[in-house]
Amino acid sequence: MSELVVTDLVAGYGDAKVLHGLSLTVGPGEICAILGPNGAGKTTLLRALSGMVRGRGSVRLGGTELTGRSPDAIARRGVAHVPEGRGTFMPLTVEENLRLGAYVRRGRTGVEADLDRIYTYFPALKPRLRQAAGSLSGGEQQMLAIGRALMLRPRLLLLDEPSLGLAPLVTRELFRIVRAINEQERTTVVVVEQNAHLALGIAQQAHVLETGRIVLSGTAERIRADEQVAQSYLGYRV
Amino acid sequence: MAGFLQQVVEGLGAGAIYAGLALALVLIYQFTGIVNFAQGELAMFSTYLAWQLTAAGLPFWLALVVTLVVSFAGGMLIERVIIRPVEGAPELTVVIVTVGLFIFVNAAAGWIWSFTIKDFPNPFPEGAFRAGGVSVGYSTLGILGVVAVVMGLLYLLFQHTKIGLGMRAVASSPQSARLVGIRVGWTLALGWGLAATVGAVSGVLVAPLLFLDPNLMGGVLIYAFAAATLGGFDSPLGAVVGGLVVGVAETLAGAYVGFIGSDLKIGVPLVIILGVLLLRPQGLFGRAVVERV
Repeated sequence: MSELVVTDLVAGYGDAKVLHGLSLTVGPGEICAILGPNGAGKTTLLRALSGMVRGRGSVRLGGTELTGRSPDAIARRGVAHVPEGRGTFMPLTVEENLRLGAYVRRGRTGVEADLDRIYTYFPALKPRLRQAAGSLSGGEQQMLAIGRALMLRPRLLLLDEPSLGLAPLVTRELFRIVRAINEQERTTVVVVEQNAHLALGIAQQAHVLETGRIVLSGTAERIRADEQVAQSYLGYRV
Repeated sequence: MAGFLQQVVEGLGAGAIYAGLALALVLIYQFTGIVNFAQGELAMFSTYLAWQLTAAGLPFWLALVVTLVVSFAGGMLIERVIIRPVEGAPELTVVIVTVGLFIFVNAAAGWIWSFTIKDFPNPFPEGAFRAGGVSVGYSTLGILGVVAVVMGLLYLLFQHTKIGLGMRAVASSPQSARLVGIRVGWTLALGWGLAATVGAVSGVLVAPLLFLDPNLMGGVLIYAFAAATLGGFDSPLGAVVGGLVVGVAETLAGAYVGFIGSDLKIGVPLVIILGVLLLRPQGLFGRAVVERV
């Protein structure tokens, strides 16, 4: 039984369709990487999953239909989207940003414990709790964004280009943490990434997108092993 | 010296009223980026409501509570019904809608209550508190006290409640707020409700000093614009400080600058608005908008 089932998803902006009938499934607790060149529709796919853009077709999470619901309603059903640009609340403090992640959860118990859990994943955030989130470095902001997403205790975590603008060392550390989170929380993850090498390193499944269609699917190992794939679809060697 | 201090005290009293309406303007601007030109008229309408209730025999403070509750609901309703359809439209469209609301509410008040002036009861006792040659009217003290309480309550709401945190998140980024599950539409309506309530307080405070008529808040609105511009349109604290500064500046200019007198005082807020926009467009407490690319 798959956790996320996307069937014939069509989505775009106004009349301009970006996704042309896309189908994929992600098993519970799996990491699924979405690869492909710029403009392939990777970001639009995540936006359609979280309701930021309206789509036709079907998106089911744990059997519940998400298509047509608003982003806040989808978030309340356990989808945490770390968008392009990270979605940080810049003037608010680091702690307030994290607490906002738990905004839709009822009751205070658990929230405090989860804050501590976030600090064990991202110790760098702890000394900066009272600081404005806008004053953090790019890497810290990405950590904050993922931490905020985790505060929802999501069923499904959507990550859009977590490596964007970060130093290679920071990026590797970040992917290591995403993997650790996935293993410990059993959170299902869909990660969109330009850096195919890193994404394939943590994913079980991968799909390659080109102009709004899936042109290749398979296990991460298979796609990584296929050198021709790397060259023709990803534009470089992995 | 005593004469000067006296003028400052008068200025603070007037300034607290501007601060109240400026606070209402800022509350809406923060969440929506909309400057609500109808804010003063909504306050005027609320004040008429309070007047009607006291005229019907309700004790003043009870009438006030009822007025505030109705104003809150009315503010939310206006957002849902009138502002919602133009949400996301170009700024000019929204401005025109609020100007239309201004004209409509003004005319409606005149139609319901007529344009003849009415005496509004003063909730504060007559007389004054004297110290060192300066006399501070009890109503001035009362006005300052009420504005301080309103400010304090808003501070508690924004800094120490979950709803307040959600409202600040929406002010910071509606898109991200949606992604953490906040119902942004309702939060905006809540902002309008709060603004209408705070505005109603400023209307009820100013009405006893002037007389109640449908153009009660016209002048006050201009001072409130100056106050919000000076303090920064996105800063509630700035609105209050700005209001007090504008009130004092206006009173002092009227008293000490020969050619201004009481007739040209209305020019003072315009000079302040112009000066701030030239020298520090984001205002004293406002955040400059920085675009990172």
